Amino acid sequence: MVALLACLLVAPLHAAPAYALLGREAPDFALHALVGGNVRLSEHRGDVVVVTFWGSRCSTCRAPLAALDALFATYQSAGLVAVGVGVDDNANASREFAQSVRVRFPMLMDPDKGVARDWQVDTLPMTVFIDRSGKVRAVTRDVGKNAEAVYRSEIRPLLDE
Amino acid sequence: MPNIDGTRVAHTSWVRRWSVAFALSGAALLATPAAWSEPPAEGVAPPAVTAPAPAPAPQPTASAPAAATDAPAAPSDTRGLDSEVQDLKKDVVDLNKDLFVLEEELLFPANTQVAVFLSMDVGSFFALDTVQLKVDNKEVANYLYTPREAEALLKGGVQRLYLGNLKLGQHELVAFFSGKGPGNGENDRDYTRGASVKFEKTVGAKYLELKITDRQRKAQPEFEIKDWD
Repeated sequence: MVALLACLLVAPLHAAPAYALLGREAPDFALHALVGGNVRLSEHRGDVVVVTFWGSRCSTCRAPLAALDALFATYQSAGLVAVGVGVDDNANASREFAQSVRVRFPMLMDPDKGVARDWQVDTLPMTVFIDRSGKVRAVTRDVGKNAEAVYRSEIRPLLDE
Repeated sequence: MPNIDGTRVAHTSWVRRWSVAFALSGAALLATPAAWSEPPAEGVAPPAVTAPAPAPAPQPTASAPAAATDAPAAPSDTRGLDSEVQDLKKDVVDLNKDLFVLEEELLFPANTQVAVFLSMDVGSFFALDTVQLKVDNKEVANYLYTPREAEALLKGGVQRLYLGNLKLGQHELVAFFSGKGPGNGENDRDYTRGASVKFEKTVGAKYLELKITDRQRKAQPEFEIKDWD
């Protein structure tokens, strides 16, 4: 009985919250780049797109960005597009962070958080996977040290479709 | 979103998408009985929340005698059905085009129509980033350019930046161009310039063109607004 109660109390804390955009068309955006060129999402229809949201004060955002950069280097030629979206108010802090992580994909800024609202970002880091038809297929929230393995397991099937 | 073309344009796009989607889904239902089956339920598997992958096409089984007996007739049936689907798709595209033209004529009649276009020539001294457009001191468009779009403009593309309605009489158009240059590589500096024009809206559509050119003599970009009348 005690174990059952404990399970009921603890389980919701560990379950990944549902994501309303799952299976739906990803909202389009066009954002200024801090590093790289400006990006309009709709230009990448036909590619597998990974959008990762970060903040300059988010200590757990660096590892997922590094993991995504490694995967981007591997799968770019197979049609993988990655973008990072910073949701800081402070453009200077965003720029410093974007330059310090040294990734090969564009790092964009969303200072008024319009895109973050449209994409229902509820935690940082949060990574959204979009298939070649522009539909949201998966989302991961803070995945810690397993980022590369988790991301690969999401990206590979989408590239194979 | 930086692309602020107004709700009418968004509505146009919405109507077009739905009309195409509706017709294509009808065609898909006709073509594939498998599409009648219900889609799989969404699954949630921590830590990744994943949407269901599209259902694979049903594989023919060697042990099905019914399938084996129907097999010789299948290719011609499929070809006929395929050509019907193609015809239907073509009709949908034609209908969509007609609807688009009709809708534009309805929403932007020639008597009040004003369209603003943007073009670039050469562009060695200026890398375009954004254009903000104001008509009678009211912002009507604010567009962010990606490298791909800027490249298309440099190759001779012309973009319709704004389509709207204005009453007859005097109006003022102001455009602010932001970007990089003039400079070389790391010396590129942020650059913002404005251009304005006063124009008379008469009976008949009004077309204006924002033109970015290089002024070689001064090694500076030049921004002008041309009236196509």
